[in-house]
Amino acid sequence: MAAEYRTSFKAYAAWNYQGEIDDLNRASEQGWQLVKGGCFHSRFVKNPGVRYRYQLDYGKIGDMPRYLETFREQGWEYVNSTWNGWHYLRKLYDPSLPEEEYEIFTDRESLREMNGRWVRLALALGIILLAFAVFYLIQLIRTPQLSALVRVLIFGIESAVLLRGAAVMRNPDSGRRRAKTNLAVFITVILIGLVAGCVLQLARPGFQTNQQASEIDEPIVDNRWADFQVYYLDLYYLDLEMESRDPMTFAVVNDAGETVYSVTDTDFSEEDIALRLSRGHYRFSMSCESGYRVDCSIR
Amino acid sequence: MKKSEPMSESYFYILLCLAKGDNHGYGIMQMTKELSGGDVVIGSGTMYGAAGNMMKKGWIRETMSEGAGLERKRMYQLTEEGRAALRAEIARLRRMLENAEEV
Repeated sequence: MAAEYRTSFKAYAAWNYQGEIDDLNRASEQGWQLVKGGCFHSRFVKNPGVRYRYQLDYGKIGDMPRYLETFREQGWEYVNSTWNGWHYLRKLYDPSLPEEEYEIFTDRESLREMNGRWVRLALALGIILLAFAVFYLIQLIRTPQLSALVRVLIFGIESAVLLRGAAVMRNPDSGRRRAKTNLAVFITVILIGLVAGCVLQLARPGFQTNQQASEIDEPIVDNRWADFQVYYLDLYYLDLEMESRDPMTFAVVNDAGETVYSVTDTDFSEEDIALRLSRGHYRFSMSCESGYRVDCSIR
Repeated sequence: MKKSEPMSESYFYILLCLAKGDNHGYGIMQMTKELSGGDVVIGSGTMYGAAGNMMKKGWIRETMSEGAGLERKRMYQLTEEGRAALRAEIARLRRMLENAEEV
């Protein structure tokens, strides 16, 4: 008879590894034995004839032969390791043996050491995510916009989750209060956030244009000097610099012909002029009587 | 010389077992259980980590047992530094015990 296999798509947060161990033990009791453990999915084979107890270890194994020998001597079978450094181990279950026979870390120091290896990684990652959150927060404060808000929220939430996870894992005594965060959810949220942030950013107009004439004979009016599309309601930022002998007018006009922004001056320079624009087509328009120079960009 | 920190129970028993002679991981775990009357248990993860750390400290070293093929086993051996560390720990424990008895 062909062996019966099953794949389970359940991901666990690192600080909830005890939850994964409990699930593996339960699956074994129900006749499903682990073939290969993974971060996102694990493979099982049906074999009701045996029962195992599982343990997880984390970190780089410096001396694999010594590691395997140390575990084998005490009846542990090494199943596999994941790409990110988790190791699956199991031991045949014998109800007559005391529970401590199924522990691999038997003192606080070694458990702390194992947890500490993950905590260091989580802290480093959490701090990088936090730095991104702060970077986009500064952008959000200086030039409020949706893409920055999305990024602040995503990086802020993810760094908070990771740093909290590090705190939980650092203190193994808080065992019963382990946070239950699903790794798959964590990664999905960050991916959606990154894509959403990029799409919102890319959908913003972004160009620079300039025009100048040292002398003109007649007043000129350029109604459609440059135009751009706005895809969603947000704040957009205009940098404008203009100089002319006689007062000139610069304006941003929408498709209905309404002026959403205009300035008339001989010498004007300002950055980050916030324009609240809804979805639609817009154009720059300008008029002047004499020699002029205009530099402008919209973001 | 820097003040030595109290040794963990696992480290202490590993060194104590090796003071009686070279031994392999499993032998140390078994002997520890016997010596402590079942109070101190050393799991495989703890054993691997502790042995690795103590080799780094130079307290123990790895040797191979006599024999050929599968008969050959990885053994641990106490070094002079390890013996000194164990003596210092025993002295510390003895002093604490004496202090406690005075009270």
